[in-house]
Amino acid sequence: MDKHLGTTITYNEQELVSLLRDRDNRAFAYLYDNYSGALYGIILQILDNTELSNDVLQEVFINIWRKIESYDPSKGRLYTWMLNIARNASIDTLRSKSFQNSQKNQSFPENVDGLSVGVSQPNIDNIGLKKTLEKLKGEQRVLIDLAYFKGYTHEEIADIEGIPLGTVKTRIRTALQQLRNILK
Amino acid sequence: MNTQEYISSGIVESYVLGLVNDQERAEFERMCAAHSEVRAAREAFEISLERETLANAVAPPKHLRSKILGEIEIEKENNRDSFINRKGVTDNQEEIEKMPVIKMSRWGRYIAAASIVLLVASTALNFYFFNQYKSVTAKYEDVVAQNAAYAQNEKDYQNTINKLSNPAMAIIKMAGDSVPSSPSPSSMATVYWDTRTKDVFLLINNMPEVSAEMQYQLWAIVDGVPVDAGVFDVAKGIVTMKNIPRAQAFAITLEKRGGSPTPQGKMYVLGKV
Repeated sequence: MDKHLGTTITYNEQELVSLLRDRDNRAFAYLYDNYSGALYGIILQILDNTELSNDVLQEVFINIWRKIESYDPSKGRLYTWMLNIARNASIDTLRSKSFQNSQKNQSFPENVDGLSVGVSQPNIDNIGLKKTLEKLKGEQRVLIDLAYFKGYTHEEIADIEGIPLGTVKTRIRTALQQLRNILK
Repeated sequence: MNTQEYISSGIVESYVLGLVNDQERAEFERMCAAHSEVRAAREAFEISLERETLANAVAPPKHLRSKILGEIEIEKENNRDSFINRKGVTDNQEEIEKMPVIKMSRWGRYIAAASIVLLVASTALNFYFFNQYKSVTAKYEDVVAQNAAYAQNEKDYQNTINKLSNPAMAIIKMAGDSVPSSPSPSSMATVYWDTRTKDVFLLINNMPEVSAEMQYQLWAIVDGVPVDAGVFDVAKGIVTMKNIPRAQAFAITLEKRGGSPTPQGKMYVLGKV
């Protein structure tokens, strides 16, 4: 940002964490400028709803600010911690009443039904991690989608798909090994 | 299972993506602490995941940034106040309990009385100077804020020009005569849609004036479903609308002021992407 004004600052992760713990606004703005897009991408992929994604992004950054004390660098990188906050908040919203209601209200208005702009449900399967997942085998992709993007536990997935819990676990693990190779 | 088998079992990815149960989490954290190879594998996957999601970042709507940074500022102020209050209360209580009774000489009493008078006078002066200081500070802050507002306007303007001239900008003309039942077939408006950042700007070429209780609303048509892209008044220049990740068409309807969650009013103009 503002490269022409010469105000570009970069922090390494350690500096960033310690500034955030000191409640440094500039470090927080830096965090927002550098990572809000990536987190917003994931939130949009889970919720597929701009309005709610905006609310969730706001909630996520406020939680990052409030809970930075509880971030433990020995357990992973700062970004991983933030990504998990974003995913958890999105899945909580996905399962909330208000989300279920908002989905019902997405009606098809009379004024636009003459348009030939496609009639399928809105989906954003062609962006981001979801696109990466396209490279997985069909059954593996479904399981990762249920586990990561819909937030179902392995037990719930076993119920939904009607397959044994052990098989769910093995398939998800295999899919994740593939995912690592794809991302490399 | 040896360390290498453990690393390639998928546990690293499950842990990083948050797909493990409590028992697996505890075990993985133990393994990380004990084996640097496990930790290195975790970091490597974290970095590739970070790279992947950063490469697929979607810019959030502009207004969210100031909203979120503003929230943080308020939160910071509140925490500071509650900390001071808590501290003040406990200190006073202790002082009251510990206070001894002292007998004073005659001179001592005069000196004590004089010092109280001085204290009162100095407090009054402090109060006066503090008020002066406050009013000057407030004026100064006004000037700084004004200056920042001008700078922001200038920057916004420059940004708009840069954005509109950028080669990734899609231009979608929305015309009244594309809508069979448009109340105003000669109406026209243009959407400038940045295909890279997904920012949406609107130029109003010709739209009829409407009454104060009504407002136009822009819709992005995504797979046949209208998605709210914001409301606007008929004004000159370019209006920044909501960020739209994907759409096949844009349309404008007339709605009650403040807009509707789904289109209720008549469609004025329409343009396909």
